[in-house]
Amino acid sequence: MRPVLLIAVNFVREQRWPILVLLLWVLLLAFLGLMTNKAREGEDLLFVFKQVALYVVAFSVFFGSSAIYNDRRSRRILSILSKDVERGEYLSGLVLGIAIASAIYCFALGLTGSWTLGEAGFAVRQMWFLMLGLVAACSLAGTVALMFSTFLNPFFAAGATAVAMGLPPALSLGLHVAELSYLIPVYPLAATVLKSSFSPHERMSWFPIALAFLETLLFWMLSAKIFSYVDIAVSVD
Amino acid sequence: MKTALEFDHTVKEYSSLFPRRRVRALDDFCLSVEPGEIFGFLGPNGAGKTTAIHLAMGFMRPTDGGGHLLGKPFGNAAAHRRVGFLPENVAMYPRRAEELVRFYGALNGMAPADLRTRAAEVLTLVGLQERRNGNVSKFSRGMVQGVGLAQAIVNDPELLILDEPTSALDPASRVAVRELLLRMRAAGKTIFLSSHLLSEVELVCDRVAVLHRGRLVRVGKIADLLESTKRADIVARGIKPAAFPDAKAQDGVVVFSTSTADQRAALERVWQLGGEVVSVNPQRLSLEQIFLELTGTSKPDRDGGTQ
Repeated sequence: MRPVLLIAVNFVREQRWPILVLLLWVLLLAFLGLMTNKAREGEDLLFVFKQVALYVVAFSVFFGSSAIYNDRRSRRILSILSKDVERGEYLSGLVLGIAIASAIYCFALGLTGSWTLGEAGFAVRQMWFLMLGLVAACSLAGTVALMFSTFLNPFFAAGATAVAMGLPPALSLGLHVAELSYLIPVYPLAATVLKSSFSPHERMSWFPIALAFLETLLFWMLSAKIFSYVDIAVSVD
Repeated sequence: MKTALEFDHTVKEYSSLFPRRRVRALDDFCLSVEPGEIFGFLGPNGAGKTTAIHLAMGFMRPTDGGGHLLGKPFGNAAAHRRVGFLPENVAMYPRRAEELVRFYGALNGMAPADLRTRAAEVLTLVGLQERRNGNVSKFSRGMVQGVGLAQAIVNDPELLILDEPTSALDPASRVAVRELLLRMRAAGKTIFLSSHLLSEVELVCDRVAVLHRGRLVRVGKIADLLESTKRADIVARGIKPAAFPDAKAQDGVVVFSTSTADQRAALERVWQLGGEVVSVNPQRLSLEQIFLELTGTSKPDRDGGTQ
């Protein structure tokens, strides 16, 4: 477990600049919260909040698709895997790192959202539930991207991830089978954020969150299996 | 006693789709490295040295065959706890040198308390004690290589695998690394050293293997290889150069060479002709001469390797 934690923390440190850039959006929301009349312009703040919330999913795909590539291109992966570290543990470290990075963002967003939107009447409990869902969506999206990046370059891995995440909701719409969108539940979780309002009509469901964490585990296992066959020292390009 | 490192009919092929081709980087490669020796691994660029090392470390899967690292099959991560590895063109995360060494030591299961003292110790061994708080991203290539060596030996490994460890070092640092390797051998460690610096190899290695186009072309003790010509140079005076084929007159003496089998007959012939033998010296080739002879590297080698 210790190597996993070390690799995860190392990953977060390596990604500190993208994380800081991402946090600027939270800062923007905080700034808007300071400058606007929250009660009167609550809907506008909620619109900005939803936008800012979804950026982290895109960043998770970016983190996941480029993590292995960066370590292979720089050959730093050789020094890591020359230690008592299984390839599966290395990938676990990256998955945990992506989860921590998105959790840092979601925590900051949750705090800022609770303050700005909470004062406008948004249920704080709902806010933290949305953040948990967002972390689950990010973990899954990042792990799917990581899985594709074990055999594709980051550009194609990100594209393949977008297709994998977009296909279930597209099928769901086309075939009129709502359950299909839960095949990879990133979209349902993102949709929960997009549909959030000051007066929620639907009960919040734990099902997509639990499913997302379960699928994160499954995609990690699949990644580890594929990665065990990869010649990591061969040029990635 | 188990071998420290063993390749058993190892084959590695690289294949690409566009253009479709296969390159055999290692071909039926067999080699055993005994515990407690410094083993030199030589070969021109693209010979397959780095491929062999990467297979041993489990970074790649062999196409056929396999091998053992400290008695465990290649790719066994647990065996790495007793191994130190320095890759060629080592790259490091941009951290303080000591922090990095502790990070890599921790990955190998070392306790934080041990790491505090051990990291400072190994950085001193590689001559970076005064730069231990410096960020590696601001280090010269040679200093980064020093940190790479420090992270490789932080766990006090039984087997140290070094891929071009002194390529970026200045002469003083090279001497320091050489002394470090000799100290490690004296402590019973095994060192597998891949290097282009033949003079270095000649100075520290007990045995060497020469790899060419993925095949092992020579393996043996350094001393045996250097004397492997089985010829002797004879210097005589009081005879004419024409008495022996290829003999030359130099500074009043005649110099010629002969095979060690014919040496006695040649000496008797000198005495028969009324001459006097000044000296008889077994011919010794330098490692460089042997290397060039075995690999024919006076012209550029093939491409397609993974060096």
